[in-house]
Amino acid sequence: MIAADNAPNIQLALFKSIVKTVGVGMIVLDAQERVILWNHWMEQHSFYSSEAVLGKTFLELFPELKNGRAHNAIQGALKNNFASLISQNLNKAPFPLFANAGSHVTGERMQQAVHVMPIDMPADLPPEWQLQRHCLVQITDVSVAVNREKQLRELAVELQNQTLADGLTGIPNRRRFDEHMESEFRRAKRSVSPLSLIMIDVDSFKDYNDNYGHQKGDDCLIMIAAALARALGRPCDLIARYGGEEFMAVLPNTNAEGALRLANTMRSEIQLLAIEHAFSKVAQHITISLGVITQIPAHNTTIPHMIGAADRALYQAKRSGRNCVVVHGEPTKPATTASTISTK
Amino acid sequence: MFQLTELQHDALIELFNQGVGQAAAAMSQIVREEVTMSVPLITFQTRTEVAQALGGSQSRRICAVTQIYEGAFNTEAMLMFPEDKSLKIVQLMLGQTVTMEELSDMEQEAMSEIGNIILNSCMSTLANISKKELHGSLPVYRIGTSDQILGSVGTQWDGLVLTLKIDFNIEKHEIDGYVAFLLDMNALHDLQAYLEQYLSGIVS
Repeated sequence: MIAADNAPNIQLALFKSIVKTVGVGMIVLDAQERVILWNHWMEQHSFYSSEAVLGKTFLELFPELKNGRAHNAIQGALKNNFASLISQNLNKAPFPLFANAGSHVTGERMQQAVHVMPIDMPADLPPEWQLQRHCLVQITDVSVAVNREKQLRELAVELQNQTLADGLTGIPNRRRFDEHMESEFRRAKRSVSPLSLIMIDVDSFKDYNDNYGHQKGDDCLIMIAAALARALGRPCDLIARYGGEEFMAVLPNTNAEGALRLANTMRSEIQLLAIEHAFSKVAQHITISLGVITQIPAHNTTIPHMIGAADRALYQAKRSGRNCVVVHGEPTKPATTASTISTK
Repeated sequence: MFQLTELQHDALIELFNQGVGQAAAAMSQIVREEVTMSVPLITFQTRTEVAQALGGSQSRRICAVTQIYEGAFNTEAMLMFPEDKSLKIVQLMLGQTVTMEELSDMEQEAMSEIGNIILNSCMSTLANISKKELHGSLPVYRIGTSDQILGSVGTQWDGLVLTLKIDFNIEKHEIDGYVAFLLDMNALHDLQAYLEQYLSGIVS
């Protein structure tokens, strides 16, 4: 605190200067949510002068924040006297604040941590002031901390990716599939967009292993995994080794038509490998069967439900003679046989 | 020993359910997914009893977000989760796939905000029925054994802990947490008086 023997006007001048110097944003709102203080830091980073905002209500300044977390926190402070914390992680940059003129132009917002606190009205203020609740909105630039954590997280992802790759084929393993499926399923549900799954099984693989040996079997799986991975077009698509000779593709934002097209591409890619298989029940070379499911996840759909559907479609493909694609939910015979099932 | 009547007890559960309902709505808005919370039961226990119930036989670590409320009645309020559960909640709320061993600084802040939302919502329903001023502090994140968090070793205290079990449900994941209010005898009697006032208001 400032030494007590200073005259009040000196104290006031000093406090004003301190509020101007301090390296955090300070907004003071009165009981009607009108701005009565907007410090220099706010002027610098909002590109609004204090003259332009004083007397305006919070919602006049930030109409898009109506009933959002920051606005609720302000109401909580003015109505209930409760303090609130608004974290950067859960609320991405709520206020239009910018580090500098350059980011103001590009619209790239500063990362923010916001505290909303009721203000104790000092007893030496006039009574009409004491009865009015006020609150302080304090905004801190947390860009440095956010970037540091982003780097750490990327490093952790990199490390984890090493434990999420399948030891034999190098493509993502079952664990990676489970995690990816979980997050894409939730994303699809949130954004009401279609999610497709393709379940893939190598035809007569047991006969291949039994006759050519496990070494050749492993080589075969490595080539198949690489070919399936090549067939994928987008970074958000994922192909994983699901089990022994089973693979699973996760295709976000892909409709049934797109998934069927990709499944057929995969099937022909494996044919093109022309891996000899004299003991196959289907052809003279290695082939695959594929089951496709496309869904916009609704409230009552679950991941096991979707995987189960892909599994049933795959089973249908096996029963329909192998080396073909079956889309879940479509009649397999005879209507769509031509479009969904093709041999050779 | 302090005790609420059955009617007061039911009223308090109902008020807390209103409170966590509001908190769940606020959290749903943040994560844009359905979050539900309910309070199936409340208990009054001593600090030592709560510490034992939370800590189990071994001294597992507890994450806590604490806030001080003063005015209508004075209490230290805390939201508590076993450490692994708090990691799970933050992971779900932030939609992250990579889990770390511990919450990072920014994640601790996110956890503090979750606590802040839940505690303020619970307390606002109590502030409403008291019709008195109640001042709430900013949340503080702490981690430690349940004894450390509750401060239950070596100090004399005549109060009780009001514990709410919270069923927290986010995207099909169910997570149990606890909210505890440390209430001394004065605060307990204040709380009981407000409940009585609230109930007589309903009846008349």
